[in-house]
Amino acid sequence: MFQKRLMAVLSLLIVLSMVLAACTETVEVTKEVDVIQTEIVEVVETSIVEVQTTELVEVIKEVTPTPVPSTRTGAWVDQLVFVEENNAQAAVTQLQAGEIDIYAYTVSDAELYRTVQEDSNLTYINSVGSYNEFSFNPAVFTDETKLNPFSNPKIREAMNWIIDRNYMVQEIVGGLGNTKLFCLNSSFPDYALYADVARALENQYAYNPDKGNEIIAAEMEAMGATLENGVWTYSGSPIVIIIIIRTEDERMQLGDYLGTRLEAAGFTVDRQYKTRTEASPIWVQSNPTDGLWNVYTGGWITTAISRDDGSNFSFFYGPYDYPIPLHQAYTNTPEFEAAYLALRNNEFTTLEERRELFATAMTLSLQDSARVWLYDALSFSPMRSNVSVAYDLAGAIAGSRLFGYTVRFNGQEGGVMRVAQPGVLVEPWNPIAGSNWIYDMMPIRATGDVGVMPDPYTGLQWPQRIESASVVVKEGLPVGVTLDWVDLSFETEIVVPDDAWVDWDPVNQVFITAGEKYTQTMTANVKSTVVYPADLFETITWHDGSPLTAADFVYGMIIGLDIGKLDSPIYDEAQAGSVEQYLGYTKGFKIVSLDPLTIEHYTDLWFLDAELNVTTWWPTYAYGQGAWHNLTVGALADAAGELAFSADKADAAAVEWMSFISGPSLDILKTYLDQAAAETYIPYAPTLGAYITADEAAARYANLAAWYEARNNFWLGTGPFYLYQVYPVEGTLTLQRNPNYPDMADKWSVFGEPKLSVVEIDGAGQITKGAEAAFDVYVTFKDEAYPAAEIFSVSYLVFDAAGTLITQGAAELVADGQYAVKLSADVTNGMASGAYKLEVTAVSLLVAIPTFTAFEFIVP
Amino acid sequence: MSAETQLAPPGAEAAPQKKSASSNALTRVAKYTAVRVFTLFITIVVGVYLTVLIANMGGFVDTIRKGEIRESVSARTMSDPVLRALPPDVRAARLEEMVRLEEERLGLNQPFMLRSFRYLANALTLNLGRAQNMTSDSGSRQVRLIILERLPATLVLFATADLILFFSSIFIALYLSRRYGSFLDKVIIALAPTSAAPGWFYGIFLIVIFAALLKVLPFGGMVGTPVPETTVGYILSLLEHMILPVTAILVSAIFISAYSWRTFFLIYSSEDYVEMAKAKGLTDRDIERRYVLRPTLPTIITSFTLLLIGLWTGAPIFETVFNWPGLGQALFKAVGLYDTPVIVGSTVIFAYLLAISVFLLDFIYALVDPRVKIGGSQGRPA
Repeated sequence: MFQKRLMAVLSLLIVLSMVLAACTETVEVTKEVDVIQTEIVEVVETSIVEVQTTELVEVIKEVTPTPVPSTRTGAWVDQLVFVEENNAQAAVTQLQAGEIDIYAYTVSDAELYRTVQEDSNLTYINSVGSYNEFSFNPAVFTDETKLNPFSNPKIREAMNWIIDRNYMVQEIVGGLGNTKLFCLNSSFPDYALYADVARALENQYAYNPDKGNEIIAAEMEAMGATLENGVWTYSGSPIVIIIIIRTEDERMQLGDYLGTRLEAAGFTVDRQYKTRTEASPIWVQSNPTDGLWNVYTGGWITTAISRDDGSNFSFFYGPYDYPIPLHQAYTNTPEFEAAYLALRNNEFTTLEERRELFATAMTLSLQDSARVWLYDALSFSPMRSNVSVAYDLAGAIAGSRLFGYTVRFNGQEGGVMRVAQPGVLVEPWNPIAGSNWIYDMMPIRATGDVGVMPDPYTGLQWPQRIESASVVVKEGLPVGVTLDWVDLSFETEIVVPDDAWVDWDPVNQVFITAGEKYTQTMTANVKSTVVYPADLFETITWHDGSPLTAADFVYGMIIGLDIGKLDSPIYDEAQAGSVEQYLGYTKGFKIVSLDPLTIEHYTDLWFLDAELNVTTWWPTYAYGQGAWHNLTVGALADAAGELAFSADKADAAAVEWMSFISGPSLDILKTYLDQAAAETYIPYAPTLGAYITADEAAARYANLAAWYEARNNFWLGTGPFYLYQVYPVEGTLTLQRNPNYPDMADKWSVFGEPKLSVVEIDGAGQITKGAEAAFDVYVTFKDEAYPAAEIFSVSYLVFDAAGTLITQGAAELVADGQYAVKLSADVTNGMASGAYKLEVTAVSLLVAIPTFTAFEFIVP
Repeated sequence: MSAETQLAPPGAEAAPQKKSASSNALTRVAKYTAVRVFTLFITIVVGVYLTVLIANMGGFVDTIRKGEIRESVSARTMSDPVLRALPPDVRAARLEEMVRLEEERLGLNQPFMLRSFRYLANALTLNLGRAQNMTSDSGSRQVRLIILERLPATLVLFATADLILFFSSIFIALYLSRRYGSFLDKVIIALAPTSAAPGWFYGIFLIVIFAALLKVLPFGGMVGTPVPETTVGYILSLLEHMILPVTAILVSAIFISAYSWRTFFLIYSSEDYVEMAKAKGLTDRDIERRYVLRPTLPTIITSFTLLLIGLWTGAPIFETVFNWPGLGQALFKAVGLYDTPVIVGSTVIFAYLLAISVFLLDFIYALVDPRVKIGGSQGRPA
């Protein structure tokens, strides 16, 4: 009897323990709070004791120490350890337990977001990049008994009114998003530039289901459909809308929501839930006229700030840029097509002209609505609250070029920072055509350096290794400059000098000059000239101790072309296309001086910002940094057919894809290193022989051999970290601070956080009709006035209660951080009695995200 | 009857008869072996080809892949500023070329049926070839390395856990079979249903308790980070990281396992010959070894062999929960990527291992159990 009772108690205990274990999160939070409280009490007690027992002067000295500037160079932390964690929930738990310091992944789980926000030990950064839309099938179906309502652009346009984007953002993604109507990212510069146009249209297309349903009803009847018992029918059958709903993320709820709205409008909805692989053959490959689908829940992502979204309209609405059957079914009005093609082809000469094209395209894209945009998703990357890092508005932490330079424990120098990502060491690393996974590129970037540093908040560039730059642009091209480090000028004609290198002869291993290649004088759209510091070659060394030399630059010029040349031993068909493309717009490059190193570059490719037209030739390749000597070892293995730089060539030749850091490649690379060292091999000797001496070659190979002996990898950079440990199976790698890195650790501390402005409007809640009305606008950052020199524009819009734009203009600058909006007597006189909304948009030069603030007033 | 036998003297009959019996046995074994090898081979061929077909959805994966290639190549236009800045016709041509190259790389320019037989031929000859999308941890495309690099991690974890589980279960089962109806026996029976939950389920609780709350054991992974630089440090760290997963496996399986073996042993313990042995006054140890374990040996060996083969597949969810870099995770990834060579490679090795094991077990049974006869219908246990 006793045993039976005991068994019963034991069973109960098991059940209880499982229930309790399931509730551990609550227990854990409580425990964390206890710890925090304890810490606070201890601090208070200590302070009191100090005040009571120590002289006041001493206390003041302790409390307000004189800030001592840091003398640390390179990275703030001693080590970066990357580990793998592909579950965001698990990562947050590990952050809470202090097992990791940063989870460098963009998470969009609203519940997890709240968990992080509520935990004082954690903090996070927000980033943008992914955005969702509904893609409509605009085709008339081959089966004439099936009516596709979305073949009618007015019904597609009406979708904008029947969906509530605010509901989606608030209820479906828990506030992690900004509503959008356009194919422009609302955090990128082009949206900020045309924010006034956007806001007017956003008001016009605000959620209005009655209006939307009215339009749908009218158009459906015009198309021959009839509404029977609240259901739209055609040819005697209900009209079925097939929605292909992606199931991997919040698009499942978005698709369901749309289905509900369409059902409310009288349609019969067939929700087909599919993963990417299941959906792709239907919406990407099927013929739209087959009628296999009507709507698809689309999603897109961008990992870098785009400063020119002009081609987006053509890409998303036109038949020209996206070679799939769906886009071949797109037909646009001639006006829309003309506008987006002009934007795509940069067929404008002034920014004002571009503005008009944008306004037209934005307006007509809504009338077309082959794609109805929903919101720009906000993601977050959690980390411990004692960590700070400069992050990228689009690329977050993992995509931030400044990550390695700025990551640190607050108020501390040194330490081991543990960074978790969903993947580590995903594919082979080699600078020419290695892994481009973001999980690999994050540590790769930390080991390298750049000539110019991408601005994480605007997408512009800042000088990093270069001393200065000038850009000459052909007159008539609307190129502007924002930052003062670039010298921009215009010329009617930019002539490429005859002695500029323009192509590569793989047989004779010499450059082909412009004079040799072109029969007549060649001109270019852009000439960029960069000048490096005079002490560049004395201050910068590769991780193996070899000093940087001009040969590293010239090697980059050569291999970039050689790899695409059929007669080259390292020819790669997969690279040939991009080399050909490159030669199509590159008109020449020339080393003007070696002391200081000065390089001119001539090209027909141009960007709207002068900063982006600077070509540095810094030896950082698409997939990492490389010195001439470690790349030479790789090239020898590639040429011998034992390894291949690219995956394509490796697959075609059935050899290993070259990895500089692990695997079977290492032994092969070591063999060729020994061979190169034995022969004192100078690559591309007919050209590089002028830049490399035999002694230097021998020293470099010896350095690399010693490096391989010590670190067991061939990965070299000049960045703030070097590759210290690689454990592929264990899924971890360690980077060690580079003690020879010359720059101060705080060089990029200005990018500690984005300078997002705060806009406040002050004024009378009631204005007098026929009298001038004035409103004060305050633009601040952390309660300090936002300097006018850092503001691009402050503009305003006035809407009536129906959302109709009444007037708009630029706010007047009064002082730093203070602006005035004045509505003239004529304007107020034209305003009918009622409520109005004044909306002010501030656009900063330092951050691409504009700030909007609204103020409501009435006219009696 | 052969001429030689006819001419043989009567007194010499015994030897040729013995020889004949031996020869017959050899022929029987050889014939049995040939038939068995042939049927197992056919089974492997069918199994592997089915795997090829299933992994490729009968060729539909080609359609999926083509769609994905076009989608991803086109999407590159959105992220590559140089591509965006190119003249439209140049950009379109470039995109088409990228699509062509990728399709060629994956062999999509050849009919699926042709490729399916090539996969089969390569698999049967153990030419595991190259993965299409996956790389091994160290960066190799060779399927052999993708599998071999992960094998030690899987083996060290699951072999440790399963061996502990296997032998401790048998030990406990024998103990319980001797103490049928005891308190401990009832406890084990009561806890047996807890094995309905898989190891990863208990793993989550163990992680929450020992890693998140108590912070005494690591959350997962194979070793600590930064990885200890000394061998001793590495081993200690590995052992520390094995505590939770091994515990999870044991907790999830030991009760049901002990319960099953205990029942099994009980059945044999109640045989008449065991009662007779008890009556003869043999010790418990002798009874277990000679009268209980001996007849159950074929079952134990089968179970043990299949356990060892089972290690080959790893455990995807379990390894994911503990972030353990084993084969299960790799194969799970391969399935997600439709990487046919890796899926087929893993399957064919498993198939061969299973076939060889089944084949050898037939002979081992004959060795350990006198009632079993190779290739004959007589003497097989009922």
